[in-house]
Amino acid sequence: MAPLLVLDNICVRGRSQHRLDRVSLQLEPGERVALLGPSGAGKSTLLAVANGLLAPDQGSVRWQGQPRGRTVRARRRQQARIGTLWQDLRLIEELTVQQNLNAARLAVWGWPRALLNLLLPLETAACAAVLQRLDLDPALLNQPVSALSGGQRQRVALARLLRQDPLLLLADEPLASLDPRLAADLLALLLELASPPRALLLSLHRPDLLAGFDRVVGLRAGLLVFDQAGSSLETSQLEALYAGAERP
Amino acid sequence: MRPAAPLWVLLPALVLLPLLALLPGISHGGGWELVGEFAAAALQPSLEPLVVGSVLGGLGVTAGIALLGWAASLALGLVLGIASSRVVWHTCCGNAAPASWIRRLLALPRSIHELLWGLLLLQLVGLQPVVAVVAIAIPFGALVARVVSDLLDALPTANLEALRCGGVAGPAALVTALGPPLLPQVISYSGYRLECALRSATMLGVFGLGGLGTELRLTLQSLAFRELWTGLWLLLAVMLLLEALVGWLRRRWAMPARLGLHRRGVGRQGREILVASLVLLPSLGLVAWQLGIEPAGLLRWQGLPPLGPADWGAVLALPWASLAGSTLLLTLLAAALAVGLAPLMLLVAQPCRPLLALVQGLWALGRLWPPPLTALLLLFVLQPGLVTGALALGFHNLGILGRLLLEAAETSGAPQQQALLAAGAGPRLALLYGRFSSLARPYLAYGAYRSDVILRESVVVGLVGATGLGSQLLESLSSFAGDELLALVLVYAALTLLGEDLSDRARLWLLETPHGDGPPQEAGGAWR
Repeated sequence: MAPLLVLDNICVRGRSQHRLDRVSLQLEPGERVALLGPSGAGKSTLLAVANGLLAPDQGSVRWQGQPRGRTVRARRRQQARIGTLWQDLRLIEELTVQQNLNAARLAVWGWPRALLNLLLPLETAACAAVLQRLDLDPALLNQPVSALSGGQRQRVALARLLRQDPLLLLADEPLASLDPRLAADLLALLLELASPPRALLLSLHRPDLLAGFDRVVGLRAGLLVFDQAGSSLETSQLEALYAGAERP
Repeated sequence: MRPAAPLWVLLPALVLLPLLALLPGISHGGGWELVGEFAAAALQPSLEPLVVGSVLGGLGVTAGIALLGWAASLALGLVLGIASSRVVWHTCCGNAAPASWIRRLLALPRSIHELLWGLLLLQLVGLQPVVAVVAIAIPFGALVARVVSDLLDALPTANLEALRCGGVAGPAALVTALGPPLLPQVISYSGYRLECALRSATMLGVFGLGGLGTELRLTLQSLAFRELWTGLWLLLAVMLLLEALVGWLRRRWAMPARLGLHRRGVGRQGREILVASLVLLPSLGLVAWQLGIEPAGLLRWQGLPPLGPADWGAVLALPWASLAGSTLLLTLLAAALAVGLAPLMLLVAQPCRPLLALVQGLWALGRLWPPPLTALLLLFVLQPGLVTGALALGFHNLGILGRLLLEAAETSGAPQQQALLAAGAGPRLALLYGRFSSLARPYLAYGAYRSDVILRESVVVGLVGATGLGSQLLESLSSFAGDELLALVLVYAALTLLGEDLSDRARLWLLETPHGDGPPQEAGGAWR
């Protein structure tokens, strides 16, 4: 079986130095990988290359053994299977929960359904199912997102990911602004959602939360410093990774 | 079933359906050849020195009129705006009542379009350069006054109260506490007013008040399309330069944008602003001298043709209901066309850079091309009437709204749009869902304000006939029917004020956020 995602020798130029410098990374189906590194190490850039928002200046991206789509349509088909959980969630405040959940299907929907979704509740059963999977009341479907509490928004963002039904979950420091308990809960939930064949690539600042991951990747100043099993990570490696940077 | 926010911005475009159904009925098809020649001439404007020279001369006069009218309106507006601010009266005299009296008085000059002021003055004092300047200065000044007083009264007063408690005298406290937050907003707004003044000065020229507009109309009516395009291209260049300059200064001086969703730190580079205004003053004098502006000329009234005794019976016999109804219908059609088409065009063109550039070019043409000229051009293929007038006004305002929408879409951050793109949504759907959602309310609020402007502006397409009060006004003006004129101006003004009130309510309703997340998203009153 081909690896899910292969990043090969990726370079992304920045203003003064490389944001990513010859980074290679491979993700197998079902793998859970944590991405560590100080602020500015290139974690967000790496995730943007992975979800296709950023085209690398050098190097190649392969998805399920295929090169990244050359045509717009082919690339979008690949992007539809890569879901991202954003730190700021990026829910559309003005729309209802159901419309937000359905927005995850825009990659496969045509215009008629996309417009109809702004007028009528569409695919209510599927939307209710993802809400229930996250212990949310399906009565929330009609609520505008702006009326939700912080915790509910987080879960709706996760529900939208499920609604997209991706093979690869990317998460950009989802735990950064949460208190320790909520962070642990969310991480457990993410690890659970990333059950095989789904893979997870998650960037974080907390070396104490690495237990559920198969692999840990360290980035520093755009360079890949280590890529190894989480259990074999040494404290000295972590200290070297964050040396000179403000500790989280 | 309640349409969601992104659909709101597209719904007004539904007006296209009845319009397209009506068009075959009112087109006469006689002038398609002329339209073809007009379009073809765009690529080969006349470059003869004589033509270019006269166009440049006309452009100079138009620009001069715009600059002087703008400067006078700012001076007038600042003084009157401060005089009609509640907080100023309250601080200085302890009583805010005079502010609302002045405010009410100012409603009348504001509600009468600059074209009417121009034509009325023209009848009184004859053709002189100062007429166009004053015609712009009066309604613009009253408008600036309202914006300034709105801005002043909306500023937080905590600093003012603190100073007053410390025993600082009223005027000094006002300047210290309210001056710094007011200035950037006024400067940003005045840049936008300068663009408006250039458009108005061109439009006044179309009606014979001098400058490039006059030449544009003459060349159009004599079918000299190549000469016409010489003027149009030059005007386009000047307008785009001015817009770019104003936009650049706004960014450089960190002034608030009009449809800004995010407030940024405002007001930098104070020294530059001071130097710029010091340079501006003597150049205004130079321009006035060059144009031969003579304010005293306003006092020398020319002999009017003898006015007959007022015949109020005949005035009452005018079909008032149908006149007002046509005016409102014209306004609604033009507004829906402009408000609805801009997002639709952006949606179609946005992912394709060359197409977007084409649309932007079309919008720029719409902005600079005075609506009465569009109307005259449309008469080549359409019959005169309300729809023709609405198309002309709609095209002009489409240019203004389109630019504003694009500006807002490009400056506000787009995390939601990016998220949708990352998940594989197409660029158009990502724009619709991710960007139009948050833009819908402020954009439509601006559209509501724009409809109010269109109502006032509807007089300028009166020359295609059957547009209600506008065409009746122009008719009464040219037949020296003083009684009719007075009644029409008053009804028009009343209708405009009603429209203004209605559009203000619509705007407030739109900007009222349903779940109380933060203040209304607009930069004070500076959208006006």
